[in-house]
Amino acid sequence: MGGVQPVLKAIYRLAWKDVMADFRHRSTFSSMLFFSVAVLLVFQAAFEPDPREAQRLVPGLLWTTVLFTTIMGLGRVFQSEEENGAFEGLMLAPLPRGAIFFGKWLGNLALSLMVMVMLVPLTLILFNVTLWSRVPMLLFLLFLGTMGLTALGVLLAAMTQTARSRETLLALLLLPLVSPLLIAGVQAMAVVITSGDLSGPWLNLLLIFDAIYLALAPWGFGWLVEE
Amino acid sequence: MKRLFALNRWLGWLTLSLLAAALWLVFTAPLDYQQGNSVRILYMHVPSAKMALFVYIALTVFSAWHLWKKSETADILAEASAPVGAAFALVTLVSGSIWGKPMWGTWWAWDARLTSMLVLLILYMGIIALRNGIDDPIKGGRATAILAIFGAIDLPIIHFSVSWWRTLHQPPSFGQASTGSTITGPLLPPLVWMSVAFIFLGTYLVILKAREIRGRRILENLETERTSHA
Repeated sequence: MGGVQPVLKAIYRLAWKDVMADFRHRSTFSSMLFFSVAVLLVFQAAFEPDPREAQRLVPGLLWTTVLFTTIMGLGRVFQSEEENGAFEGLMLAPLPRGAIFFGKWLGNLALSLMVMVMLVPLTLILFNVTLWSRVPMLLFLLFLGTMGLTALGVLLAAMTQTARSRETLLALLLLPLVSPLLIAGVQAMAVVITSGDLSGPWLNLLLIFDAIYLALAPWGFGWLVEE
Repeated sequence: MKRLFALNRWLGWLTLSLLAAALWLVFTAPLDYQQGNSVRILYMHVPSAKMALFVYIALTVFSAWHLWKKSETADILAEASAPVGAAFALVTLVSGSIWGKPMWGTWWAWDARLTSMLVLLILYMGIIALRNGIDDPIKGGRATAILAIFGAIDLPIIHFSVSWWRTLHQPPSFGQASTGSTITGPLLPPLVWMSVAFIFLGTYLVILKAREIRGRRILENLETERTSHA
């Protein structure tokens, strides 16, 4: 095997397998989607914002919902492999461990992004906020944040997959570690909503976070699964 | 390792006498011009904050050592560090809160150092929970080590990002090269003594805990051996 291309193809295949398997029977996607709607419902019930308050709350609402929804999806990243004993098979594949990580990451990222594409307009409708011109920018920010979030998340999911009460543990580990991402994401989004300006220090922090975790998480994964 | 445990007993007595001496200095130190008696909380708060961080650094080193050399000693020391560090972090937060009410007028503020310390405490609890949650000790040790290293990378990012929301906290009490020491004169010696005593206390507690963990692992190995023979 020479060159980068076969590895890239393997990453893509792995991600595609996860997404397809999910659409066919595991249906993480639909649970994530409806879970996110349920979270919105909880927010509405808890805060009852009027449209002006809602506009101020949108960044926090979106990021919190995305965070909780992603955690739910992450809990299932390695579940089917673990249940069917396919994890060892995956590890035996003639691929660098980093490639396996990126395949898993890409599949999870794709599912999360599909949820987000529906979540953003739904949020604007349900909270009566008219920010339609900003939707592409909001999605772009969520996309940036989710890259780092799922990179760290897939690593933590691999860490906790054999643990007892794995999903609780995943949330306990993930939430404090992604707090900078959440701060940066919310602040960047607030700037976008008030001024339509997609730049500034918070966006840079988001990019730094992504770069660090996309570079380090595959390395951590390699250590983790080493026999 | 056994020799270390034997020495630890003496370390314990040394720690106790150092703490006694430092406490005597703390209670004979003059009152602060503005803070009055509540300045004495600081003699416990500052050293435990330093120790909470210092133990985390040690934990990261042990973790890296364990990953790299597959050293059981490093793994035991890493496991022993986490609860000790968590205790120091908790003491820091509680003592700071008690001091904050009369001084800042609030128990809590979302300032950079308070938030980082809180995250540090949660991280310590996460590390402990991860190790307890995984039944296979080898897998658990490795997962915990990787988590500790990622936490070490994340903590500066957290500190940096929260400090942009700034801040009520005073600048660090000592060790700031640019402004010089903000604590001077008769208030400084007790702080130095307490810091030294806390370093000994931390070391003593980690070794004590390591001894317990090593004993438990030996017992568990014997137990599996026994059941596999029966």
